[in-house]
Amino acid sequence: MFHLRRILALASNTVTQLLRMKVLFFLLAFCVLVVAAGFAFPAVSEAQQLKLLKDVSFGALQAFAVVMAIASTALLLPKDVEDRTLYTILAKPVPRIDYLLGKYLGVIALIAGGLILMDAAFSLVLYIKQTIVIKEAVDWFVHQQQGQADAAGIAAVTADLEKQGLTWSLHTAVWSIFLKAAVLTALALLISTIASSTLFTIITGFAFFVIGHGLGLFRDYFFQGGISRWDYALSAVLSILCPDLGLFDIVDPVLEGHVPSVMAMSTMTGFAVLYIVGYLTVAHLLFVEKEL
Amino acid sequence: MTAVEVKNLSKVFHRGLGQGFFTAVKDVSFTVAPGEVYGLIGPNGSGKSTTMKALLGLLAPTLGSTSIYGIDSRKVEARKAVGFLPENPYFYKHLTGLETMLFFGRLCGLGGKPLREHCVRLLEQTGLADAADRRLGGYSKGMLQRIGLAQALIHEPKLLVLDEPTAGVDPAGSRKIRDLILDCKQRGITVLVTSHLLEQIQEVCDRVGIMASGRMIKEGALKDLIAVDDQFEVLLQNTDAALEPQLREWLAQNYPNTQILRAGRPHTTLERLFLEVTESKSSD
Repeated sequence: MFHLRRILALASNTVTQLLRMKVLFFLLAFCVLVVAAGFAFPAVSEAQQLKLLKDVSFGALQAFAVVMAIASTALLLPKDVEDRTLYTILAKPVPRIDYLLGKYLGVIALIAGGLILMDAAFSLVLYIKQTIVIKEAVDWFVHQQQGQADAAGIAAVTADLEKQGLTWSLHTAVWSIFLKAAVLTALALLISTIASSTLFTIITGFAFFVIGHGLGLFRDYFFQGGISRWDYALSAVLSILCPDLGLFDIVDPVLEGHVPSVMAMSTMTGFAVLYIVGYLTVAHLLFVEKEL
Repeated sequence: MTAVEVKNLSKVFHRGLGQGFFTAVKDVSFTVAPGEVYGLIGPNGSGKSTTMKALLGLLAPTLGSTSIYGIDSRKVEARKAVGFLPENPYFYKHLTGLETMLFFGRLCGLGGKPLREHCVRLLEQTGLADAADRRLGGYSKGMLQRIGLAQALIHEPKLLVLDEPTAGVDPAGSRKIRDLILDCKQRGITVLVTSHLLEQIQEVCDRVGIMASGRMIKEGALKDLIAVDDQFEVLLQNTDAALEPQLREWLAQNYPNTQILRAGRPHTTLERLFLEVTESKSSD
């Protein structure tokens, strides 16, 4: 059904297109921001310095992923229709599903690549900062103990700060950001198959992004009296129409030191796959009937 | 088997909410035989582009059908045989000439070293070898048209669909495109072409269809369509002006009802004159 070579050709072209739109400047700006955040708050405590660095970095990571997912996807399909590049592509033996998958994979490949680079840059800066901070804290502790500091005390100081430093769970938070971006990309692609302009896709995409984060609250408010069968059905329909992005919000707990379980990560990944497959299927059904 | 078959094609568009419908093409039928060059001509809004889009599977017919080498053109397989040059070259401006060719080659299922070599060869044939590493954003209209032709030929199609191939191209470029169409014909490639330049259509086409207001109003072999039934033309070479009065006298004696409508030196076309002058100037 799918032709891998065509899909990869379209995906790599999408990556090239976005790269040549200078989106990598965002990554450069991110690196500058992370380095600045790493050494900009010497007045606060060591643990707070590490937390601020993580907060700033993860804020930027999420902004990058969401903006790329919605804005860059919105630029692709409507622009191809507007510039009529789509005519030339679809006049070749290219099934429309291959075109959609190529565009989708191109955007998420770029998001994944960007997140990996940003995660690596952030991890490096956090590790350096953590090493400096721990050394300072241990020195201070030893000084406070007037040379009487025991190994257990030093280990306790170190362990406290290591909790706020670089841990594997931070990468699971990056994975959750990627999943959320992948779902938003599929949704933006779906919207762009029916949209008449880039602006419409961007505005609608961001509207879904906002609503998606409030879906849990919405359900809590309406179904606080207990869930009947109808309420359950309505909730399910709402969750299908608009992704429940709250499912992917594990960044804050992770930054506070919580470690998500394997089951939680698997469930989150499963939901993301369901959303992606669902949105891409609907996008294909709409796009295959689209008259150019 | 016909290369192209358009059978009772009608296409109705919905104008928008509460604005009714618009019929772009009404009951159009024509066929193109393999190896033939077919010209589809007509004024703006006559339905040529809609017919072409239906043939390329970009639009679904409201009524009727279109097929390419016997395969319904809505099926992807039908487009394996087609190379398409759009009216205004619609390509990614961020890609270079070579990248564009490689991209379209891969879309056709080609790849590897043979594809790269084929792309380089086509770029050389279309005179774009020197511009292969430049981005399309910096190409002139004529260069875009030529890369459009090169990408249309990338998978060696059996049918070439050209939508206004010479639009915005200078006479020399236009002549090159004409030569390329004739070259395709010699290689047995079927060509379906639309153009506003009727002289060019006349030069290259075997058959033409004339469309107006969404209908096919005239269709057939070019030489039959443009032949004037009650006139006969003789063109003499290596003669002198003294022959004309003798001819007139001979005709008056033997065929008293025959009138000479025009006599004198034949004219070349402005296009040919332009090309002769500019080419001789550039060779100096």
